[in-house]
Amino acid sequence: MKRHKTFMAIAAATALSITLAGCAGGASKDESDSGAGTGTTGELTFRSWSPIEQTTKQMVDTFTAANPGSKIDSTIFNYPEYLVDLQTRASSNTMPDIIGLQPGALTQQYRSNLMPLQDCAAKTWGADWQSKFYPIGIDQARLGNPEGDENFYSLPLLVQTVNLWANTKIFEEKGASIPKTWDELKSTVDQLKGGEYAPFMLPAKDSWLRNVVFLQIANNVAPGLPYEAEAGTKSWADPKLVEAFTYWQKLFTEKIAQDGAIGLDAYPSGANQFEAGNAAMIPLGAWWIQQSDPSKTGLPPLSEGMSGYQPFLFPTIPGGASESQFVGGIDVALGISKNTKNPDLACKALTDFIAGAGAQKLINTFNDLPAVTGLNPEKFTSDKQKQIWNTLTTEWMPNVKYSRYLKSPEMDTALGDALSAVATGQLTPQAAADKVQAAQQKVK
Amino acid sequence: MTSATITRPKPRRDWLPGTLFLLPTFVLFALFVVYPIIYNVQASTLDWDGVNIGEFVGLGNYTELLKDPIFVTTLKNSGWWILLTIVPQALIGFFLALLLNEKIRGRSIYRAIFFVPAVLSPVVVGIVWQRMLDPFNGVFAKIGRATGLEFLTKGYLADPKTAIFAAIVVNVWMWTGFSMLFYLAGLQLIDDSVLQAAKIDGASTWKTVTAIIWPLLKSTHLSLLLLGIIGSLKTFELVYVLTEGGPNHASEMLPTYTFKQAFQLQSVGYASTISVVLLVIAVVSSLSMVRAFGSGFLTGDDKK
Repeated sequence: MKRHKTFMAIAAATALSITLAGCAGGASKDESDSGAGTGTTGELTFRSWSPIEQTTKQMVDTFTAANPGSKIDSTIFNYPEYLVDLQTRASSNTMPDIIGLQPGALTQQYRSNLMPLQDCAAKTWGADWQSKFYPIGIDQARLGNPEGDENFYSLPLLVQTVNLWANTKIFEEKGASIPKTWDELKSTVDQLKGGEYAPFMLPAKDSWLRNVVFLQIANNVAPGLPYEAEAGTKSWADPKLVEAFTYWQKLFTEKIAQDGAIGLDAYPSGANQFEAGNAAMIPLGAWWIQQSDPSKTGLPPLSEGMSGYQPFLFPTIPGGASESQFVGGIDVALGISKNTKNPDLACKALTDFIAGAGAQKLINTFNDLPAVTGLNPEKFTSDKQKQIWNTLTTEWMPNVKYSRYLKSPEMDTALGDALSAVATGQLTPQAAADKVQAAQQKVK
Repeated sequence: MTSATITRPKPRRDWLPGTLFLLPTFVLFALFVVYPIIYNVQASTLDWDGVNIGEFVGLGNYTELLKDPIFVTTLKNSGWWILLTIVPQALIGFFLALLLNEKIRGRSIYRAIFFVPAVLSPVVVGIVWQRMLDPFNGVFAKIGRATGLEFLTKGYLADPKTAIFAAIVVNVWMWTGFSMLFYLAGLQLIDDSVLQAAKIDGASTWKTVTAIIWPLLKSTHLSLLLLGIIGSLKTFELVYVLTEGGPNHASEMLPTYTFKQAFQLQSVGYASTISVVLLVIAVVSSLSMVRAFGSGFLTGDDKK
């Protein structure tokens, strides 16, 4: 009996101690896990899902070579794994010094753990530092901040447009032209049918892709309306947005998209098929230029110097805006843990990655478009690659007015689900719009 | 008269070594099993994003969960998954094991081939099968178009009515080799004299298989059943890669929904509620099996 009691006592004490040691629901104290340093020396940790490992290493090596005594421990994850890692680290008070962020919900979730960056930016780039960035990047960096909070908790590293890409080899072979209107899109798809490739490959398994295609359609129908609906000043059931859902539906019912589109993922399947020449058009974004990264060997013929690709905007919709609208925003932003032991070094590294020597290394790989204007790759492998780069960075990106994101993850999910239901015939466009509006009313 | 000294027996200390030997296991159990459960249960009572301070909502998450149509879908899908993976896997695995237990040429190679899918990463399996099932450019669709077999050209992963069943077929393909291996091990344990006696008594092959071998493999069936139920409840990678739980949550499973709630919707409290329900289902299933078949079924002992 006594033995039993003793054992139970040990058991109870252990259970109690570990329970008290950490409870769910508490805010983390956020202690950075790197060593302290001064100014330009010391150690930093960097965790993100982008840029890719190899590019990040080049950026880190460039920075540490220019700042003797500094060291950066970097780890790049897949996005889902990164979210798990970041949340676990935030809960266990081991936030990295510099972290990759997406604007809106993700930045807001960690806002209380992040250092405002406007002083760092002003100290590095001067008082008019915001003018260095593309306007949409600056707008989105504060997406979802509470009213009155003008702080920048993250700064954009890479930005992008969302758009369509054409396989110019197929277009030339078939004598087809890049479609500028919905009717042209339909006739081009009809013209390109019958080959071994999909005229319009829509890898709609991914919620993010469904949403960005819809936002391009919706902004072409009624520029800015989706954001007014999200802000509550308009309804998602507005006839113009129902019309946008209808055009989304037509991609499937009018056989513009390939069979089984809702089951195909963008990465790796859709992207691989497009690069292999199995599709004439695909909705992706400016980042597709990374396929022509000069540091890669054995590029597929289409990707060599972007020889087989041409970007274009989603065609205009009858009765909508007369010109296709630019939709895009931040691809990756960076933030600094508010309790970093090396705020000066972290600021220096962050700004170097965004607009310094590290950024140059990043941009040399064509990973995506730089968040700052005037930063170009040191080497182009073809005139076409240069022409596409210039189009994206000087003609499109400065004009991006509409966000590829919604503010809240709840609305992002509700929209993605509704689009999936419309695509599979489970909901009508009107019912889908009503459902999204109902979700909107539940968002806090 | 001689004085007698009464010696009191020394208190027995033999419980101490036993307890000390148990202690490391207990600490590990408490740390890695009990603590996460307590943490999860506590988190399930919060409206919490996993980072900032949570708000206590009592049983609010549980009430919401019961009204959540996606949660109902995940339960239905788990039911289908348990039913349609365990039975076919066991039957196909059993007959493969019977076949490969015979002295046929190259049986080791066949055994390895059938077992290979079980050691592959579910992510790789998911990507490959997604492409094979792609109705536009997949292998099955191409074969279907070439042969006129229309059913091979359908987009099973893209249809909400069939997506979960397509995922189940891939899962059966992946894990049948595992069942086969279990049955092969079980077949090695059957006393050959029993089979010889049946042969002498004139039992047909079918009779030998159904009336002697199948019943003698009871512990193997039950082990596979338990592993199958637990495996079905925690299925994640394969479904996530194949369908991401879609289209429109049609193939959502409890773990994929938990992941989405915790890391995409930042609702760690709600995700914890789903986890607690998952835990309860797993524990109840396991205990029910132990209750029904006895705790010795895993070891092949008689019912205890």
